[in-house]
Amino acid sequence: MTQIFTVTDLNQRISDRLENDPRLHDLWARGEVSNYLHHRSGHRYFTLKDQDSQISCVLFKGSALSLNFELDDGKNVLVFGDVAVYRPQGRVQLVARAIKQDEGLGLRHLQLEALKKKLAAEGLFALERKRALPLYPERIGIVTSPQGAALRDVLRTLGPYPARIILSPAQVQGEGAEDSIASALFALRGRADVIIVCRGGGSTEDLWCFNSEIVARAIFACDSPVISAVGHETDVTIADYVADMRAATPTAAAKMAVPDVEELLDRLRSTQVRIMRALWTGLERKEERLEYLKRSISAKRMYSLARDARQRLDILCQSLDEAQADKMQSLKSRLELAQGRLAAVGPRATLLRGYAIARSQKGLILQAQDTRPGEEIELILGQGRLRCTVRECLDDKEASL
Amino acid sequence: MKKNEIGLEEALDSLEQIVEVLEEGKMTLEESLDLYEKGMKLVKLCNARLEGAQRRIECLTGELPSDLS
Repeated sequence: MTQIFTVTDLNQRISDRLENDPRLHDLWARGEVSNYLHHRSGHRYFTLKDQDSQISCVLFKGSALSLNFELDDGKNVLVFGDVAVYRPQGRVQLVARAIKQDEGLGLRHLQLEALKKKLAAEGLFALERKRALPLYPERIGIVTSPQGAALRDVLRTLGPYPARIILSPAQVQGEGAEDSIASALFALRGRADVIIVCRGGGSTEDLWCFNSEIVARAIFACDSPVISAVGHETDVTIADYVADMRAATPTAAAKMAVPDVEELLDRLRSTQVRIMRALWTGLERKEERLEYLKRSISAKRMYSLARDARQRLDILCQSLDEAQADKMQSLKSRLELAQGRLAAVGPRATLLRGYAIARSQKGLILQAQDTRPGEEIELILGQGRLRCTVRECLDDKEASL
Repeated sequence: MKKNEIGLEEALDSLEQIVEVLEEGKMTLEESLDLYEKGMKLVKLCNARLEGAQRRIECLTGELPSDLS
């Protein structure tokens, strides 16, 4: 069955349908404000949008009184209200009764968080892959706008440090900035030891290109360490997360990139002093040693050598004496032994048995003819001697004992 | 900069090494004199690089703004 509606009827029907659906009443919706219009009637009109869709919103004058913040484009909000049809235009809209600020969870932030999560999962922010800055870079690449104050800050801070400075110009805000920054980074491939990518302070909108995926990937792909310096201290972008170093400002980035020339010159001066002192100390040490050796040889050493020698001599003498004494002792005992043995075999024992030994001046008297009458002889007895005078010499063959 | 010229970093590194060896003081007189001369040459070279340096700014695309060149 075909039914023909007037437009008014049709919208009425849609309106009835929507307004009778409890799911479309007393609801909260989250999104970003755009096309904001504060009408002179006091009503507020805007579009609430997210990544893929949008819906018209109206906040009537009476409800607007409860607003506790300034509603504006780009604000992320939570809207409480009912869905209705604005029949004159056949438009579905959200009639807001209250609006709250949505802290940090708006569309763009949601996108940003999603991108952060994705890049983090891929390891673009990993601390392990952060490269150390070279201590003394010879070529410093700078990606920024040639017209910007950031470039002048960087150049002023780099000061007289002797390096080639290679500017790779980029557009750092507005349409196309992301691609421009990425290709400027790419152009520095193989040409720089360290890269500074920077821009001065600006609105969140102005800095937004540094939150883009293409810039993040371009920084990640750089073949030398990258220092990022975007905006002011409080502005942290995805570029800062990917970069090897984050500086709060372009000036700070330049300070990180190069050593202080005055400090270096100071260090050189002190190195020079150290070298000279080291050489001097070395020489002095050698001289001292020489002096010591000289002294040792001349007096002390000779004296101690002599003393050593004397001591050794004393010891030798002493052992020699001891050896001699030993030898004497053994000779003495050998003598005594021999005496004993001699006594055992000697004539004394025989004499004690009554024999005597007769002896003249010429020696032993063995026969009578050995002596003459009147000669003085000696008789050795077992005990004592007799001095006698020979009266007669008898060659008495019969006389026998 | 000539191609074979020693870099600032390399020069400073060797300088540090020389000072350390010298301060250890374990070489012969001839060796330490040699090292001393080498060290002084490096000091001179670094000084020259740091003091006499002309900053060179190049631009990868076109001309530099007039206040920079």
